[in-house]
This record gives sequence, structure tokens and C-alpha cells, in this order.
Amino acid sequence: QQSDAPAVLVADRVWLEGQSRVIAEGAVEVMQGDVRLRAARVSYDRDSERLLIDGPIILTRGENEVIVADAAELDRDLRNGLIRSARMVINQQLQLAAARLDRVDGRYAQLTRATVSSCQVCGTRPPLWQIKARRVIHDREEMQLYFDDARMEVLGVPIFWTPRLRLPDPNQTRATGFLIPSIKRNSQLLTGVKVPYFIKMGDHRDLTLTPYLSSETTTLEWRYRQAFANGRITFEGAVSEDTLYNKGRAYVQGYGQFDLPRDFDLSFTIEAVTDDAYLTDYGYSDADLLESNVTISRVRSDEYIEARLGHYFTLRPGESNSEIPSIVGNVLYEKRLFPRLGGELRFKAEEHSHLRYSTTPGLGRDVVRLNAEALWFNTWTLPLGLRAEGLVGVHADGFITRQDALPANQSGVSPTAALTLRWPWVRNQANGVSEVIEPVMMAAWTGGSGLAVANDESTRVEFDEGNLLSLSRFPAPDRREHGLRGALGLNWTRIDPQGWDARLTFGTVYKADVDGNFSPSSGLRNSVSDLLIAGQFRNQAGLSLTARGLFNHDFNINKAEARAGWSSDRYALSASYVWLSADATENRPSNVSEWLFSSDFDLGRHLRGSLEGRYDIAADEPVSAGMGLLYANECVEVELSVSRRFASSTIVTPATDFSLTIGLRGFSAASASGRGVAKSCR
Amino acid sequence: CGFAPAYGPGGNAASVTRNIALAAPQTRLEYLLNQQIERRLGHAPGGDYQLTTAITTSDERIAVTSTNVTRRFEIVGSADYTLTGPDGAVVTQGNVGGFTGYSTTGSTVATTAARTDAQDRLMVILADQIVTRLIAAAPAS
Amino acid sequence: QQTAFGATSVDPDTPVEVESDELRVNQADGTAEFVGNVVIVQGVMRLGAPRVLVVYDEAGEKVRRMEATGGVTLVSGPDAAEAQRADYDIEAGKVRLQGDVLLVQGESTLASQDLTIDLTTGSAQMSGRVRTLLNPKN
Repeated sequence: QQSDAPAVLVADRVWLEGQSRVIAEGAVEVMQGDVRLRAARVSYDRDSERLLIDGPIILTRGENEVIVADAAELDRDLRNGLIRSARMVINQQLQLAAARLDRVDGRYAQLTRATVSSCQVCGTRPPLWQIKARRVIHDREEMQLYFDDARMEVLGVPIFWTPRLRLPDPNQTRATGFLIPSIKRNSQLLTGVKVPYFIKMGDHRDLTLTPYLSSETTTLEWRYRQAFANGRITFEGAVSEDTLYNKGRAYVQGYGQFDLPRDFDLSFTIEAVTDDAYLTDYGYSDADLLESNVTISRVRSDEYIEARLGHYFTLRPGESNSEIPSIVGNVLYEKRLFPRLGGELRFKAEEHSHLRYSTTPGLGRDVVRLNAEALWFNTWTLPLGLRAEGLVGVHADGFITRQDALPANQSGVSPTAALTLRWPWVRNQANGVSEVIEPVMMAAWTGGSGLAVANDESTRVEFDEGNLLSLSRFPAPDRREHGLRGALGLNWTRIDPQGWDARLTFGTVYKADVDGNFSPSSGLRNSVSDLLIAGQFRNQAGLSLTARGLFNHDFNINKAEARAGWSSDRYALSASYVWLSADATENRPSNVSEWLFSSDFDLGRHLRGSLEGRYDIAADEPVSAGMGLLYANECVEVELSVSRRFASSTIVTPATDFSLTIGLRGFSAASASGRGVAKSCR
Repeated sequence: CGFAPAYGPGGNAASVTRNIALAAPQTRLEYLLNQQIERRLGHAPGGDYQLTTAITTSDERIAVTSTNVTRRFEIVGSADYTLTGPDGAVVTQGNVGGFTGYSTTGSTVATTAARTDAQDRLMVILADQIVTRLIAAAPAS
Repeated sequence: QQTAFGATSVDPDTPVEVESDELRVNQADGTAEFVGNVVIVQGVMRLGAPRVLVVYDEAGEKVRRMEATGGVTLVSGPDAAEAQRADYDIEAGKVRLQGDVLLVQGESTLASQDLTIDLTTGSAQMSGRVRTLLNPKN
């Protein structure tokens, strides 16, 4: 249809010939809507309303479509017509060259004898890849490219031919069609190919089906996503028939999140699998414990509400699903009040229950606990800048235990009081460096005594700067610190916005009596705890080092963890180290020590490498290693990754996974990974 | 040696840190961070100073056995903070970081409790660092 | 070839009539200045301007050229042009319009800073960033 806006012509020289011909020369520009034509010479015949245009011609439409040509004959609003020896560039990425380009209704561009590529063309050398076709039709509205009689050439060598081919244009974000295939090699499943097919189901739903075929397996992977006005869900899974397992295998993983009225939030996750080794064999997940749960929660500055129902399924060898707490329910309500007399009054009420399928006493223990807590605390500034926080409160706990030798009902009330002193000293130097030295001290007393209830939840206690001064270092109320206890600590912090930051913390906890509920390796078992030393160093060059250690009385390490990271624009390096002393109560018969290292780095303008390794120092054997190469230039993205897992068990066998993905850039918006630095001609 | 008690006669940490208003939390982690900051500095929703924070966390698998069982996780956390004064000018800003670990070799409920406790401890670590930097940034009057 | 500007070409020798409110003659340099609603008619072409300076040849009988200033309109048959000033070189038969030139021909208008009309050939050439609308024929 004729667009209504008249086309504007501007030129250095214009003259009129006869009654109906206007001829323009010298930097001629014709503008109509978002289409703009620049040419050396244009002659416009008013009767035929045709523009005869001599090159060099540049025809642009918005920023995303440019056509360069030698000659053209177009109608008045530049929407229809013929362009000779045209080179069309879409989204500054995809180039289509053709002897002839016919524009139809401003929507279609039909290129005859066309060559399509997104690679830089250097001199006369053939580009890395190009598609030659008898005809290419670009549909601007559907954002699709339709090829007839297409031949794919790599470095000038034809590698495959297809009568018809459809590819999305660079603006296309969601369209049904094949995605980039990849080749996978795994020592168990051998070499296979994954060909994902994306099905757009309206604007709010899509389904991706990915057949994965190899000599050992026939698998269909699927992912379904749906967005709602107030939330979204995503489900993914796979179904397989393979030579590794006698029956069919499948897994499903789903998660969703919804906004409920009155600021509540609903979220759920679902994980299920037919056999234990399936997820690891196919590399779908590292999880060895499947957790499905539904959670409703609300967060406000003075209130937190959470209700959660969860179900667990273990894949660990040696753990049976009937003896682990499988069904777990939690309801938590926390309220913070700020009375006129000052300070904060904090109420907390919690219900927790966990049930084991087994009904044999002991193994099948089921527990329901109700805990309530009211704490009031306030901080005063004493003379000489001493900061004192006083706290008083009461805990009330009730337990119901079934299918166990322990008493069925237990309840108790424990009053508690604590005093925490902090004495921060500051030095602000002229050069902007500031330092803070802060000795801290805490004393606490809690009445009542431990209840005769099972310790199902507080078996893994940690001791770090986060709970040096806390009232109870047990993670759950089925164990609580009673009696008189205290803590001493010293914090040092250096802050230099231009230079390096650092911090160092020392801490020790003192208890009137030994608490057997703490495991030996937690560092908190004895009346004088291990010495906690934790520190961090960070500088402007991107280096960061964070470490923490627990040192027992003869100063050897009980537990140590460190993380190091270094990033610059060309390299990123991260390493972590852990050393855990042997502790039977934490199912750790021998010391555990491990190095984890991963880095990625530039290997030139287009190549980026990555390395990863995990080494079990105690067992003195590698756990896993991986290497990756990503080559990306303006028109192709090749990703190669190799990973080797040395671990072996019933659910895991040593396997080397290899995957290769070759993506042509310039088709569909998703393909641009942003790294595609244009190659320069050499 | 240049050190003076921050809340003592020389320092004026009190004037700044006493009336800092925090942005409303959207997640449990922000709720915990705010809770610890307000425990240290007091609850001043109408305060002249505004503190905004942005927390990022990631879970890293640590101590993986030869049977590919994950024995420990580390929650690596960092928080950007910005303190703006009554006139809206930035008094101080920066980033603090840290990590906490939790073991996953216990029962399902022990792992969940340990993970939640690790999150609580990480927020205390980040909050205490932010408070220390706010104290340090309060210029000695 | 149909003339591009004006109904028919104009013979430079056809007599030129000039009307104006006032006439000032300057014997010394052989010029005459018509002031006030000046209208110059030559054949089918009419040129109107508030002030026109007419320069005669050395002998003083034939008009060599005219300078019209202060906003000129030039009409020839269906076509019209206007500009700030116009210089009409009678022997060469060329009229040069300058300054905010607007050429109107039937439906289309062309705007530029400079327009030269060759009255003998009827061709009209505009230059200096010419701007026009390519309207549809209706």
C-alpha cells in the first residue's frame, strides 16, 4: 500500500526536464519514513512515479538494514523495485550479496543468485563460511530467510547442499525451528549428536525437544517454559533407552515462582529420577540428593513468614530412602518490634516436622518440634566509646518423638541473658587509608538443660566469624547452648579505596562445661574452643584472598578453608582449598583435603581457553579435570569442551565427556555471545 | 598512634551511625543483613542517612569424594553498599565479601539446617563488615 | 523538447515593459532605479519586485541587465519562482535567482539557494542543497 508521507529529495543540483522529469545530482538523498536512499544521481519521472537511480547507492532502513548497490529502479516511496548487484547487511552482521534484489511492498527482499555470510570478506579470499543459493527471500516482518537450492561452503569448499533451507534473521528472538546442534562424546555413551528443536507456542510458552542419539542411547530431552502474569514455570527432563541400564530411564526437574496477593511469594521445585545413576551418566546434574518442595514466604522489614513442605530422595550409595527424613515440614514466623523504651523486641515461632518412611523404632524416627523465642536487646554507648549490648529473653521448646526409644514428649523453657561489648578504635590517615581495631567480648547464660531429644538437625556445626558472638551456635533448636559461656575476639580492618583492603579476626569461645553435642572437628567441643583465625586481602588489581582456620590447643589445624580469586580483563582465576580433620561423628573417617582450581583466559583476539581441576589431596588422586576452548569471531562460534571425571562408584563410572558446538553467527539474535570481535583482514 | 575510640569523645561515629534508614528487604538474605545492621546501629526508619545494599551469593561444591558425592558447600557472598547523606550526596560506598561453609554429609534435615545457618552467618559477616566501614567512614569531628 | 520552465521559451529581443511607482535616473553611471511595486513584463514572463535597478549599455538605449532585490517573484505560464534577489542578463537570456529560492511547478515545489533559468532553452537548474518533495501524481 502506498505510504502516505511524501518522499523528500535533497541534492546539490536539481533540474527539471520536460514537464514530468526531475533530475538530481550530487549527494542525492531521498527520505521516506524510516527508509533513506543516498545515490550519485536520481531521476524521478512524475508520470510513472519511478526513481531511476545510479550508484553508488546506499539504501538504509532503520539502523538494522543497509543495501549497497550500483544501480536501482524503485517506486516513489522506495518500497518496491529492482536493485542491481546489491549487497544487503542486516544488523551489521549478516551480509547478503546478489546480482539482483527485488524489493516487494517494503517487506520482502528477493535476492537472486545470492551469497549469504556473516564473515568478514577479505580481498578475494572466500570467507570462513558462506551459503550460496539460487534465490533467498528475506521476510522483514517474520524475520526469516528462505533459501532455495542452497549450498553451504566452508573456506570455499562446498560441504552440503539442500533444496530448501529456512534460517532466522539476526533480529529473530523467538521462532520455531532447529537450534545449534552439538556433538557429545562420553566414554559410556560414546559419540552422540544433540539436535535441539525449539517450538514457539505463542508469546508466553515454548517447548524445546532435543533428540540425543548415539550408538549406546536413544534419548529425548525436553524443556517446557511458561510465563504467567504473576509468575513463571520451567520444566525440563529426559527419557532414555540405553545400553547402560536394562529398563527405560527418565528424570524431570521443574521449578516455578509466583507472586501471590499481599506480597506473598510461592515457589516450588520438583526433582525426580527413575534410577540413581541416570543424572550422572548423562551429566544432567551433580545432585546426589533430590529435593522437591513448595514454599510460601513473605519478607517485610519487620516480619518474616515462611511455610515449606519438602520431600527428599537420596541417590547416595549406602543411604536408603526409608531411613532418611523424607517428608519435612516447616512453618516459621518472625516479628520485630521496637518498643518506646528502646532496643528491639524480637519474637520467633517455628514448627518443624520430619518423617521417615521406615516404621522400625530408631531407624524410622519421626519428630515434630515447636519452638518459640522472645528476645529483647539494646545497645548503649558507655564512656570511652565502649559499645555494650544487653540481651534478655526466653526460649520455649516442645518435642514429639515417635518410633524411637527416646521419650515421646519433651518440653522445656530456658531463660537467657547476654552481654556483648565492642570497643571500636578508628584511625583515619591523611592518604585516605582508615583502620579499625575492635576488641569484642561476650558473656551469656542460658537456663534449663538440654532435652532428651534426638539430634537430627544439629549434627553439622560450624564455627566462624559469623557465630563467634551468637547466642547458640547450633544450627537448629534441637540442640541449644546452656549454662555460662563467653567469647573473646579481636577484629582488625584496613580500608583503602585506592589501594588494598584487608581484615583479620581472632576468636575463642569459653564454656563453663564441655558440651558433647559439638563434634570434635567443629572446634567448639572443649570448654576452651579452638582458636578461630580468619582473614581477607583484596587489591585494586583484582586479587582477592579469603581464608579461615580453626587451630586446636597444640596449634595444629582442625579445619581450614581458603578461596582465592584473581581477575583482569584478559584472565580470570579462582582457586579454593579445604582441609577437614577426620571426625567419625561427621561421617568423615579420614581427613578430607581438596584443591579446586578454575581459570579462563584470552588466547588471542578470538580464542578463549578455560581450565578446571579438582584434586583430592588426602586420597592423592584427581577427582575431575576439564578444559574448554571457545573460538568466536564475527561469524562463527566454535565451543569445544573436554571434561574427565576420575570418580568411580556404583552410581558413577570414570568418564570423559567431550562436546563440540559450532554455531553460525548472524542467524537469530541469541547467537551473538558478544565476543565476536570482527576479524581484521590480513 | 592515631587511633581513637570511634564512639569516644574524638570520634563521631555515633552521629552518623545512629540514624541510618535501611531500604525494605525483598529477600530473606536482605532481611537478615538488615536485621544484623540494625542490631548493631539501631532501628531508625526515619533516619537522615540512607543505606542501600545489593547482595550476591553463589554456592560452590567443595570436597567432592571419589564417588562424586559432595561433602561440603561454600556460600560465597558479596554486598555492595552505599550510604547517602541527608542532602543525597554519597557519604561512602564500597563492597564487602566473604564466604561460609556447610557440610552436606549429615541427614537431609541436618543439611538444610546447616545451609540456612551458613546463610545466616554469611549475612552477619557481611553486615559486620559494612558496619565497621560505616564507623570508619564517619569523619572524626 | 518541452520547455522545463514556463509555457514557451522567451525571445531575448522581445521588448521589456517596466512599471513602477517611482523612477530615479542616474545619468552618471547610466542606470535607472525603479522603486515601489515594480513589474517587468517580457513576452509571457512577468517579474515583480519592490526595487529593480536597470543598467543600460554604453550607448544608453538598450537595457543590458536588471537587478531586482527585496523579494522577487517570477511567473512564466503555469510555473512560478520566488527568491530574495534576481539578476536578469538580457543578452544571455538568463535569470539567476538567489536566496531562499522556491520553484513551484504544478504539484511539485523545489527549494534551494540558487536557481538559474535559461529563458531561451526553458531549462531551470537549481543548486546549493536543493530540496523537493516527490509527490504522487493524482
